[in-house]
Amino acid sequence: MAKKLQENIKIDAELCTGCGRCSEVCPVDAIEGEEGKPQSVNVAKCVMCGQCVQICSAYDSPFEQYATSRSQRLKERNMPIVKEPLFAAYYHGDFFKVKKRLADKKQFSMVQCAPAVRVSLAEEFGMPLGSLVPGKMVAALKRLGFTRVYDTNFAADLTIMEEGSELVKRITEGGSLPMFTSCCPAWVKFVENEYPELIDHLSSCKSPQQMAGSMFKTYGASVDGVDAREVYSVAIMPCTCKKFEANRPEMKSSGYQDVDAVLTTRELAYLIKEAAIDFNALPEESFDKPLGMYSGAGTIFGVTGGVMEAAIRTAYELITKEPIENVNVTSVRGEQGVRKVTLDTGALKLKTVVVSGLKNVIPILEDIQRGKADFHFMEVMTCPAGCISGGGQPKMLLPVDGRKAYENRKSSTYQHDEEQRYRKSHENPEIQDIYQKFLGEPLGHKSHKLLHTHYKPSR
Amino acid sequence: MSRNLNSFVLADSKKCIGCRVCEVACAVAHLDTEIKTVGNMNFSLNPRLYLVKTPEITMPVQCRHCEDAPCLKSCPVSAIKEQSNRIVIDEAGCIGCKSCIMACPFGAIELIVSRQERVGDEEDRLRDEPEVVASKCDLCGGAPACVKACPREALQYVDMVKERTQRRIEAANKMSGFHNEFMVREG
Repeated sequence: MAKKLQENIKIDAELCTGCGRCSEVCPVDAIEGEEGKPQSVNVAKCVMCGQCVQICSAYDSPFEQYATSRSQRLKERNMPIVKEPLFAAYYHGDFFKVKKRLADKKQFSMVQCAPAVRVSLAEEFGMPLGSLVPGKMVAALKRLGFTRVYDTNFAADLTIMEEGSELVKRITEGGSLPMFTSCCPAWVKFVENEYPELIDHLSSCKSPQQMAGSMFKTYGASVDGVDAREVYSVAIMPCTCKKFEANRPEMKSSGYQDVDAVLTTRELAYLIKEAAIDFNALPEESFDKPLGMYSGAGTIFGVTGGVMEAAIRTAYELITKEPIENVNVTSVRGEQGVRKVTLDTGALKLKTVVVSGLKNVIPILEDIQRGKADFHFMEVMTCPAGCISGGGQPKMLLPVDGRKAYENRKSSTYQHDEEQRYRKSHENPEIQDIYQKFLGEPLGHKSHKLLHTHYKPSR
Repeated sequence: MSRNLNSFVLADSKKCIGCRVCEVACAVAHLDTEIKTVGNMNFSLNPRLYLVKTPEITMPVQCRHCEDAPCLKSCPVSAIKEQSNRIVIDEAGCIGCKSCIMACPFGAIELIVSRQERVGDEEDRLRDEPEVVASKCDLCGGAPACVKACPREALQYVDMVKERTQRRIEAANKMSGFHNEFMVREG
């Protein structure tokens, strides 16, 4: 099982022309092969970010003849029957698995949607790039038959509570510093693969996907009076590596696999199309409560700098006990590369680093190994603009539209943040409630069991 | 000759990496509706230039817009015309006989399923539209999408007037020295 999951990203040798653009974008040099010849993925190195899937333009031309039929190719990829062109780089889907379980009307299913899905899903239905559609997305998921439509954004708020407290604890009581975010599974896998000696620097927090999963099968199940074993937990993600994360053996803190299946944004679009739902005509509907309520801080997790900004909004108030002057921490926003920002909290100058694009983190990690780290907290996202540019997001036909899509998805994300009644994770009433009724306190016994994990060297 | 020579797009096999972005861009530029994402496509991509890959070379091939176009001459129903310095196929008039494919020395013409096939019921289609039509590069009306999309700048829009002028200047620069030397030796 584990081996199969590692082979999530593949290159179809019959379609690959060996142009090498995939190996240019691969942050871990996992793509191998001679120039001009079909390339292959080195499974041991691959972090499954899917950037190769996004850039590949070698498609099944109607003017060429292939030994493999189109239906065979669709089957290999676990894709439904679609007429769209197929490209050489692809990922294994989970469409059929989810479709089958949804067809069972007795199934008690809970679904979560990552923040980056609501700013891209509509693109698969012809709406302008970056259209913001949380309400239509909820309506579509309800029509697909999910019993509870919850949200990863809620768990993002929960992540901030735990991660912010963990950072403050490491600074005040001691612990490995700088602390690294652990929301991006490709980044976590990269540390495990290439820098195992730095694993202690990773926050022990699970990613929002996994926090949501364990909350679904514990708190969520109790709210509805169902047994955890009856809950089918699905995540809709912009990311191809989240499929791998959900299947990690340590992700069973509810007593069951916390997230049973992960669909990409594109796979959700297939489900909606196959069910003949007219997406564009759907009304706006609301996420279910309690695990579907979120703050603006939760929603900005989808863009690079978002986790940092959300953490700053809460950490500042945890440290200073005063409200933050400007909730828009624009200095951490931006794209590709490295941004260093110092936050003055009076008592402490909190030094932070935001990295987008995995290649950019290597010099920093080398510095840390040489003992040259001079900061407290680092956010790393593997994909160039954060999750909005993930491998499972709608694939642009033209590279020029890719850049436009990132720009629009980003501005929709910040717009959504500004629209929220609560902008800080700790102000989300359902977050306050879950601590009061169920979790106790951040970093407490229950939190530790359900929301934290530890990572292991993979070599 | 009183008129300008037709322009065309030419690929540099030394720069081309064979990524097929040119083909995708071409197909997208010729869609009836604007489509940005792969998931919105419910039909295959039909480009009008074709990547050729052999052990030695990699480059796309497309219509040369010949001055004395064999395809135009071979068309029995006059569906291929010369219009504003381009050789264009009138898809509505095409009967799909393949004469142009046989006549083209570049293999630059393909038969594609008629775009109209996707609309109207079957009866309409049989009455009004051919099942398949000849298809080839139309230079996108003067700003070829393939040239713009190539990530390696391997495609060039060749304007014969500029090209000829440039070559003559280069030749003159080279020949001026050569000529003087030649004259001196003769003398």
